[in-house]
This record gives sequence, C-alpha cells and structure tokens, in this order.
Amino acid sequence: VGKSTIEELRLLAAKLSGKVIQNINSTFVGGGVAEILSRMVPLLQQLGVDARWNVIKGSDEFFQVTKKFHNALHGRQERISAKDFELFLETTQKNLEEIELYGDIIFVHDPQPSGLVTRKKELGKKWIWRCHIDVSHPNEEVWNFLQPFVIQYDAAVFSAPGFSHELPIRQFLISPSIDPLSDKNKELPQETIDTVLEKYGIPKDKPIITQVSRFDYLKDPVGVIQAFELVRKSIDCRLVFAGGTATDDPESDKVLAEVREKAGNNSDIHILLIPPGSDIEINALQRASTIIVQKSLSEGFGLTVSEALWKAKPVVASAVGGIPLQVKNKFTGLLSHGVPGTAYALRQLLTNPEYARWLGENGREHIRYNFLITRHIRDYLLLFLSLDHPGDVIRL
Amino acid sequence: MIQWLIDNWLKIAIPVLALLACFVVGLWVRRIIDRVFERWTVRTKWEGSQFVVKTTRRSFLYWFLLLGAFIAIEVAALPAVSALPPKAESIGVKVIGSLFILSLGWLVIILSEQLLKLYLPKLKATQSTITLAVNVIRITFIVIGALIVLQIWGVPTNPILILIVVVAIAAALALRNAAPNLFAGFQLSAAQQIKVGDYIKLETGEEGHVTEIGWSNTHIRGLDESTIVIPNSRLLQHTVINYGYPLKKAKEPFYFHSRTHLTELTGFKARNLQELVDILKKMPDTAIYYHTHHFLEQHHYLTPEPSNDFAVWVNDALGDEVLGERLASIDTFAFPNLEALKERLIGIIEEHLSKGSNFREVMPGREFHFAKSVSVILPTPYVAHDLREFVEALRKISLGSLYFHIFESRLRLGKGLNDFSIWIKDSLGETELGEEIARLDPYTYTLEGLRSALIQLIEKRIK
Repeated sequence: VGKSTIEELRLLAAKLSGKVIQNINSTFVGGGVAEILSRMVPLLQQLGVDARWNVIKGSDEFFQVTKKFHNALHGRQERISAKDFELFLETTQKNLEEIELYGDIIFVHDPQPSGLVTRKKELGKKWIWRCHIDVSHPNEEVWNFLQPFVIQYDAAVFSAPGFSHELPIRQFLISPSIDPLSDKNKELPQETIDTVLEKYGIPKDKPIITQVSRFDYLKDPVGVIQAFELVRKSIDCRLVFAGGTATDDPESDKVLAEVREKAGNNSDIHILLIPPGSDIEINALQRASTIIVQKSLSEGFGLTVSEALWKAKPVVASAVGGIPLQVKNKFTGLLSHGVPGTAYALRQLLTNPEYARWLGENGREHIRYNFLITRHIRDYLLLFLSLDHPGDVIRL
Repeated sequence: MIQWLIDNWLKIAIPVLALLACFVVGLWVRRIIDRVFERWTVRTKWEGSQFVVKTTRRSFLYWFLLLGAFIAIEVAALPAVSALPPKAESIGVKVIGSLFILSLGWLVIILSEQLLKLYLPKLKATQSTITLAVNVIRITFIVIGALIVLQIWGVPTNPILILIVVVAIAAALALRNAAPNLFAGFQLSAAQQIKVGDYIKLETGEEGHVTEIGWSNTHIRGLDESTIVIPNSRLLQHTVINYGYPLKKAKEPFYFHSRTHLTELTGFKARNLQELVDILKKMPDTAIYYHTHHFLEQHHYLTPEPSNDFAVWVNDALGDEVLGERLASIDTFAFPNLEALKERLIGIIEEHLSKGSNFREVMPGREFHFAKSVSVILPTPYVAHDLREFVEALRKISLGSLYFHIFESRLRLGKGLNDFSIWIKDSLGETELGEEIARLDPYTYTLEGLRSALIQLIEKRIK
C-alpha cells in the first residue's frame, strides 16, 4: 500500500496515545465481525493503539433471540415475542454486572451487546455503536426496541449509506475490509489449489461458479442453485457452494439441509461444509473458480465479494447492502436483482472471458484502493479522533 | 694565547678560508640561480613558481655554508694540518650531515604544503581534506628525516622501523572499514562529480541536496529536512543521479500536507427528483463537496472515471439519461466555490422538473443517500525549498496529499486556486509556471495522471 499510507497510519495512531479502545461483541470465532476484529485489534496494537477485545456472554436461547433480531433487522419476517425482548434485556443486565467497561472509547459491535450503553450516564466515556448489519429496511418492532439504545451512543457506524437512519447522533460510513496477507487472501501455489479441489472431489473439467457464504437464508443458497440450473441449460459448468457455521447462528444446520435437498443428486453441484479456520481452503476454492457469485438477499457488507475481487475474479452479486460499494456495475463486476438476472450475468461472463478478465482486474484495483485493511484501520482511527473534533475539517 | 695563534695561524686560516670560499661561491651560485629562476618565472605562467623561488633561495645559502663547514673540518683534519682530532672530525661531520638533512626536510615539507594548498582547492577539496593531506605530508617527511638523522648518528633504526610498520598495520586494521570510504572520498574530490549544493538521488532511495562532503561520509539534506549521512563508498558503488546545482530558493518553503476523510452519513435519502432537490437545498457545502468529489478518490484508477454521484444516481437509479448527462457535464473546475456549484446543480434539476420531465420514484433500496465528508488534514515529512525538491517530493507524496493541495484547497477551503500554483507564483516568483498549473483541469485526469502532468510541467521548467 506504500510507505506514505503506513506513515499516515502511524501519525494518526500517535494522536490516540494514552487512550484505551475497548471492542465488545458476542463471539471470538465465526462470522464476519469476529474475523474483522481478530485482524484489526492486533494491527491497531502494532500501531501503538491500546485496543482490546471482550465478548459478552449469553445462553443458546439468547443467541436464538439475537439471530431473530439479526434477521428482522435485515428485513425478514420474524415472530418475536415479548419474552424474547425480556430475555435480551435480562442478558444485557447480566453482562452489565459481569463485564468490565474500562475503555476510554467503548466500541460496541452489532445489536447483541448494544444495551451495554445504558451505563454511559454513570461511566461517561465515548461510546460508538458499530452496526455490521443491513438495517436499511428493518423490522419496525425490533428497530424501535433497539433505537433507544442506539441514540445513547456518541456515534453510530454503518457499512453502507443505505443503512443510516435519521438519528440525533452522528453517523459514519465505514466499510469493512480484507487482509491481503491473511490465509484467506494470500497468493497460493497451483499445487495447493489442486490439492483442495482433489480433497473435495471437484474436477477441473468445466468452468466453476462458486458462492462462499454461511448457510443462511439471507445468502439465498437456493436462489444460487436456481440461477445455476438456468445457466446449465446452455453452458456446461459446475457450482460450488462452500459455507460454514458460526457459534451465534443456530439456524445454519437447517439451511444446509434444505440446500442439500435442493441440489439433489446433481454431480455438478458441490455443497461443501467447510469447518471454521479453513481459510486456505476457501482461498483455494475462490482461486480455482471461473466466476464468483454472491446472490445475497441482504448483506451486512458482503466481504466475500471483496475477497473474490482481490483475486481478480469476475463477480456477479446482488445489489444489496454494501455490495454496490464493492461492485461498480459493469466496471468492477456485474450487479443483479434476482435469479434470472444472476443467470443472465453468469452467461455473459462465461461466454465473454475477455470481458470477465477486464472486470476482474478492475475489481482488484478497486479493492486495493478502497477495501484493504489499511483503509479500514485508517477509518477507525479517524473515527476515534473525530469524537473529540466536532467540525468538518480537522487539522492534526 | 697570541703565541698559540702565531704558531698555529695556518691551521686556523686554511679551514676559515675554505669556509669563506664556499660562502662566496654560494653567493655567486645563488645569484646565477636567481637569474635562471627569474627568467623561468617570467617564461612560465605557473603560479607556484614564485614561492618555489622564494623558498629555495634561502636554503642555497645555508647549504653552501654547511658545505664550507664540511670542507673546513675535512681540511683541519688532514694529517698535514692536523688541527682536529679524528673524534672531533667525526662529530663535526655528523652535525653537519644532520643539519643538512633537517634543512632539506624542512624545504621539502614547505614546498609540499604550498603545492597542496595551491592545487587541492582547485580540486574542490574541503578544508578538512587539505588539512589532512598537509598533516600526512608533514608526518611522513619528519619521520623520514628523523630516521636518516638517527642513521647518521649510528643509532639502530630497525626497531623503530618495525615499530612504525606495526603501528601502521594496527591503524590500517582499525580503519579497514573506513578505508574504502576514505579512498572514495579522495575519488569524489578528484573527480568532482558531486559537489556541495548538488541535488543527488541514489538508486537505494536516499536523495537531497549535498550539504557537506567529508573524508568518509557525505551529508545530504533530505526532503523531510533530515540530514542523511551516506558513506562515500556507497556513492561510488551505486548509481547516483546528480541533478546539479540548487535552483532558486523560495521565500517560504512548501510544506506538503495530506488529507484523508471520513464519510459522515446524514440519514437523509431521496426517492425522486423533487426530494433530491429539496434535500439538496438543505445540505451543507460539505455534502455538495462529497458527492461531487469522492468518486475522484474512490475510482481514481479507472479511465474514464464514473461521474459525480448525482449524475450516476439520476442515470442508473432513475433511468433519466438526459438529466444524467446534464449533471455529468457540469464543469466543476469552472466554479470558484461550492455555493455556486450547489446553485448550478439545483438550477439544472429544477429546470428539468419544471418541464415535467421526471416524477419517477426509484425502487426501494436504490434511494440517494446524502453524506458529507469530514476532512482530516495531516502534516507530511516532505518540505520543498526549490523546484527540484518540490518535484521530487511530488513523486513521493500520497494521492491524498496531491488531492488535498489540488482539489480540496481550491474549492473546499475556498482558496480559489490550488496550493501548488499559489506557492510557485508567490514564493518562487515563477508566475508563468504557476499559471500553467492553475490552468490544468484536474477533473480530466486520474490522480496518477495528474501527478505525471504536474511533474512534466515542472521538469520542463527546470530544464
């Protein structure tokens, strides 16, 4: 990324000297937030920022409720009872009693720990709510329940412009990012890629279309299979659906079963349950792919798109959540709005490999300048600094 | 006493006569040599001739006196005269030999020093170089002279020679790392390829104005005003680009700043043109700036770059290509401030609405979301005192820095002109170049393309 970028980060980090940044979320492993924090916190520490990370505790029932909240905030219909809200408040109260809130800046991620802000009046300090979810069209009941917590924060951070609401607090746009040196994104030798394909029994005889995402209704795995089947009518190809599960997502087993059922005995459809931590395997599958698809119905951001673009792969993705920020339609990939649109875009790319290559190369540049972890760290440093500078122009 | 003189007058007179004869011959020889030298100095235009004549003139007389004394002693020691015992003769000869060696050594040292002081400055050697060379010459001849004198007096010199060799080897070992730099320092002085004041750039990345060339190191002032000490041997081992003498100094140095930004969301969104224009009227200048500029940074690698956010949204989400084209064709460069740009945007949309052209609503999820940018201005280590330093810093600064000085300072900070043009005109007095840069429309370039265009303009001016 260049010397000047690193110098800039060091300078910004130095301005935060003496401040403790306490990150709080609901899990150390699984899911995009944990993945981002596991990269971000050590890098902030390397820059000299005293960044720390704590998680809240909760029962399986609590996480089932927060999963419902998650789906509802994404706009899905969910039945949420008064008992669910009560459980949320009870768990929040228990965590308030147990967790030590020591940071000068308390950086709360997602709705699960959002209620901790009720101690703000007592503790003071700066509080930021980082919303990783697409809340552009939230379930009103859940949003109205959470909003009283949200407006107590000093600032809220969203991953896409469409997620913001008219709120009495400052709202910032910070997109997530990928780490180009991580196992998931680093360059791999062809032998490693071949070994992974062999391990999962995927022949290289046909173009491979891949979606990498959790087994989650919001990722529309069934829609991906439908689009693939439309493409297969005219072009011979394979579909790889590679996904995992997260500790805070109790629904994924059910989705996986439905996807397997939909795939049936089609030998060209490969449903792969990838265990957590298999980053090199995910990397290899993406690199072995001809096209990467991300046909989500809703997305917090959709980092798998950035991962694919970084590998210079042509991408077909839904125009939801943060995906339009990553895919500038017809410049860095193709955006779609449904199953037929996805199938049409896939056919276009499969039959025009030169165009597909051009999109992939543009996509890689787009990620290089806008979605690498260095940009993400810079935005967070600026966010922390902006809390003490209310103006639109800050001179450091 | 008188009787002794009467008895021995011949023994005294012969040596004294020999001494006087030599003195007279010496005066005569010096006169001849003076004439020869005089003709030589007139004939030759060598500037060192004067001091060679002056220095050697006195020595000739001394040497003839010593020769006279030597002859007198030898005569006095003859068996026929037998005025001196053999031991006294031996001591006398040794004293005369020692005096001659000391005199000769002194002459050589003086001549060498004069020659070094005459020629080393012409080789652009520094004062420290001259002092070192003079001291080396002095020590060398003093040691040689001392060894010869000791030899004359029969003192064994071998142990001293061995000691000198041992000391020399020890010194060489101690200075083995410095030696290549010292030799390189000599070469640099002799070749004059690098001089104090030059702007140099090493292939290893160091660059700046040369402030001092020492025996073992060369000092340069880097673009961040730090002093970089480079061992002389590296200057010979690596490729060095020398841009030559410093250019005209600016009245005030140019301090490069960088700019980064955070996007602040307003929470306002528009679903149709009427909402767009209504909200636009309420938005602060920072929102206008954001939506007409952020794509320059975000998509700076693309040619052609996507247009401003309003044009893209009207075109893609509303599907109004006519209005999209009108908004895309707004020449941001032509506006002196954001207020005027905002009025133009509003004017175009209202005019379009007045024709009843577009009342469509976008699909849910495709609304226009208003945002504004929070600019954070940071210092960078780069400072320029002249055009050479400026152009070299321009190659190194981040795109954020380039963006800040060209776009942000002109429009958002309301200076009306980019920072580079202001400095080049006001501080350097390069009005023509400053105006040439001001005329450059930065919106028609990618940021890297803009950097190249600026570098080309400045390099052309330097040449």
